[in-house]
Amino acid sequence: MKSPNEINIIKMKNISKIYDNGAVALDKVDISIKRGEFVFIVGTSGAGKSTFIKLLLREILPTSGLLLVNGYDINKMPRHEIPYLRRSLGVIFQDYRLLPNKTVYENVAFAMRVIESPRRLVLRSVNSVLDVVGLRAKYKCFPSQLSGGEQQRVAIARAIVNNPSLIIADEPTGNLDPETSWEIMDIFQRINAAGTTIVMATHDKTIVDTMQKRVLAIENGCIVRDEASGGYGYEA
Amino acid sequence: MKLRTTEYFVKEVAASLKRNNWMSLASIGTVTISLFILGLFLMVVVNLDRMASTLESQVQISVYLKDDITKKQTDSLEEKLSSLQGIDTVKYISKEDAMKRFSERLGDQKYLLSALDDTNPLPNAFEITVKDPQLVKTASKEVENFPGVDTAVYAQDVVEHLFDLTRLVRLIGLSIIVFLAGATIFIISNTIRLTVFARRKEIAIMKYVGATDWFIRWPFLLEGVVLGFIGSNIAVILLRLAYIALTQKIYDMMTFFPLIPLYPFLTYVTIIIILSGIVIGALGSVISIKRFLEV
Repeated sequence: MKSPNEINIIKMKNISKIYDNGAVALDKVDISIKRGEFVFIVGTSGAGKSTFIKLLLREILPTSGLLLVNGYDINKMPRHEIPYLRRSLGVIFQDYRLLPNKTVYENVAFAMRVIESPRRLVLRSVNSVLDVVGLRAKYKCFPSQLSGGEQQRVAIARAIVNNPSLIIADEPTGNLDPETSWEIMDIFQRINAAGTTIVMATHDKTIVDTMQKRVLAIENGCIVRDEASGGYGYEA
Repeated sequence: MKLRTTEYFVKEVAASLKRNNWMSLASIGTVTISLFILGLFLMVVVNLDRMASTLESQVQISVYLKDDITKKQTDSLEEKLSSLQGIDTVKYISKEDAMKRFSERLGDQKYLLSALDDTNPLPNAFEITVKDPQLVKTASKEVENFPGVDTAVYAQDVVEHLFDLTRLVRLIGLSIIVFLAGATIFIISNTIRLTVFARRKEIAIMKYVGATDWFIRWPFLLEGVVLGFIGSNIAVILLRLAYIALTQKIYDMMTFFPLIPLYPFLTYVTIIIILSGIVIGALGSVISIKRFLEV
């Protein structure tokens, strides 16, 4: 079932999502995202961005259509394969979602521990990703001792520690000031340059306009714009 | 399961028991109380059951013989009775034996017999016991038709009431046990639910980074099992003390009361109660975590 060598890491064909209350969140969406791309998903609140991301994580199922993520057929995959799909992805949220009673090191190591990685590998990988996000020195700190930007960097370290081929970020800079946001984007660009695909939902006009990456604009559940190197396109 | 994962689970359980110390104590307490009551009922039911079957098996049919039959007829009757199906023992009681027994039973009131002068109004008789108490009724009917038999009587009411009573005790005991088991599962599942709730963010993160359902479930299952195990062990200690004290008291008053001897009975009770504690703990946690896994 899984064929990770496809060129497209995400493929949506005629994807619709209608919730139980009748709300149409996505309406016949057709897109594909190639391996190594950096894609912004933009659109107003309630346009369908969250649904888009939840579908990729297989938190919800599409009502109709074909959805392939990293070689997994989301509709057909059995429940017990969901953890393996998620191991091939890294997820980052607006609110960081760190464990408050665990240190920086433990928070990152947690992602490896729950998939039963060998201890020596955990030590090596966690130190290496803490280097990537520049937090090696603060490995003993608890999240409450860190700034928002630092917490989000820990979350990024946790997302990349298992070497996923796809990073899904849902408004990762939503709670951060512009300067800190750029630090985060800088890390994303480096991760992307190393070959990891990044799909990022955002409201941040400046970031989208400056980075000039591929932009998918969602409105009322439809993709209204797909530009190879576009701007935000809305007034912020 | 890998060793370091097991180590991780054990740490998680210890931390969780410590974090919810009061709730943990409360659930251990409820497990103890429930299983103690459950165990008491079990002991009472099993003992009553045994008492009933002892009494049942002691029910005998008295076959009174006509006065005018010969020794030869008596012998052939004995043979015939012995060859009946389901008959356990056949014992001949001559009228002299019967008189002797009767006078012994009268004790201090033996003087009453002097009113009979030297006549003996008691008939010769056979006392027969059957293997299955259910057979008493049919056997006595059959025997009454044998030649030379006057009447065959047994304690009909006693036997039938005994059957009703044992059935009732079993039924009540069983319903109470089922009810208590349900209540205990409910209480444990609530305790585990607190742990699950306290760790719901952690569980969500575990799901996002690709932990399997079983990996997430294990620590909670283990916590439930530990609570059930500790609670049931305390219950077992209390039950053992209670049963030993109780049998002692009863034997002091009634030496031949048909109680079940301490061993191996207490060993069986221990095994049953501890296994129940473990199963109840596991069930409780499985119920409470099911909902939280749907991420």
